[in-house]
Amino acid sequence: MKWIIVTGESRGVGKAIAREILMEGTYGVIGISRSKGAEVEDLKQLGGEHFVHLTYDLENVEGIKSLYLQQLKRLGVIHGFVNNSAWAYDDIISNLRVDPLEKMFRINVLSPMHLTKYVIRDMLLNKTEGSIVHISSISAHTGYKGLSMYASTKGAIEAFSKNTAREWGARGIRSNCVIPGFMNTAMSASLTDEQKERIYRRNAMKKETAMASVVRTVLFLLSDQSSSITGTGIHVDNGTI
Amino acid sequence: MQDKLIVIVNDMCKDNGLPPLKRLDADQHLRDDLNMDSLMLAELTVRVESEFGVDIFEDGLVETMGDVIRKIEGHQGP
Ligand SMILES: NC(=O)c1ccc[n+]([C@@H]2O[C@H](COP(=O)([O-])OP(=O)(O)OC[C@H]3O[C@@H](n4cnc5c(N)ncnc54)[C@H](OP(=O)(O)O)[C@@H]3O)[C@@H](O)[C@H]2O)c1
Repeated sequence: MKWIIVTGESRGVGKAIAREILMEGTYGVIGISRSKGAEVEDLKQLGGEHFVHLTYDLENVEGIKSLYLQQLKRLGVIHGFVNNSAWAYDDIISNLRVDPLEKMFRINVLSPMHLTKYVIRDMLLNKTEGSIVHISSISAHTGYKGLSMYASTKGAIEAFSKNTAREWGARGIRSNCVIPGFMNTAMSASLTDEQKERIYRRNAMKKETAMASVVRTVLFLLSDQSSSITGTGIHVDNGTI
Repeated sequence: MQDKLIVIVNDMCKDNGLPPLKRLDADQHLRDDLNMDSLMLAELTVRVESEFGVDIFEDGLVETMGDVIRKIEGHQGP
């Protein structure tokens, strides 16, 4: 089986990406999230043997090595990695607290970097010309009050992705980012309708970003259709310009 | 062990357009004598790890074939 790792496949964007990959049928999906499995029972129904869920908390950076050696490597060859899991600590900067900030960097930056390390090692070992896709956020490009800390994790990932592309391009390994605008998911649930309206007014199309459009862009970047695209980001944000 | 190691090294030399080695020599410098660049060293790391279960670059410097052999032997025990 050719596998694609999707982190945060238990809901929202990650679940929609996992579903779409399974529907296409070329690849199996290894989902990584804290969920025990009940949340992804429908993916199991859909994918059967093509879907494996691994319960793992990405706050644990140190455990990634054994996650790879004990579990991921044994499943088979990794062809793609979608870094989708994220946790948002939103507040204005004058209230910044180090504990949640550190937790967010572990989940959004350090663990994805460590996973990338082992994904690249796997690709080297198997001579796989694989694709890595990071889900960034429009907040790394357009300022929003209260999102500076969260946005900085996405800025870090975008820089990491660009340099990954440069470093490993000669081995056929690609790395790109998808940069979504605001979508209605659990992550943005705490916003009031008025706040959402104000955010939507800032984009050319005056509405929320369609999750399906984000998902299709991720699948495009995973596929050979994007074989000459690396080290870049695709904005899927209704024109937040 | 050295037989397996030379197969790994020569496979990589072939892929990278370098001449194969006739034998392994503890004095051979990976970069200067074998012309390995950092990407080839990364590949050597994952191939050795997959075959022998040891990450040769995880701690300390590895510069020569002798260093690689010592890491593998140290992991396997006497
Ligand atoms: N929603 C938006 O408006 C928006 C806009 C731009 C970018 N994004 C980005 O899109 C991606 C998906 O977001 P979403 O809106 O789908 O968010 P979501 O509904 O909150 O889902 C987040 C996912 O991340 C996983 N996750 C969170 N903490 C984790 C941890 N410690 N270990 C492992 N997995 C963890 C969750 O799984 P468990 O809880 O089961 O662990 C969940 O599956 C994120 O990278 C987000 O930054 C979202």
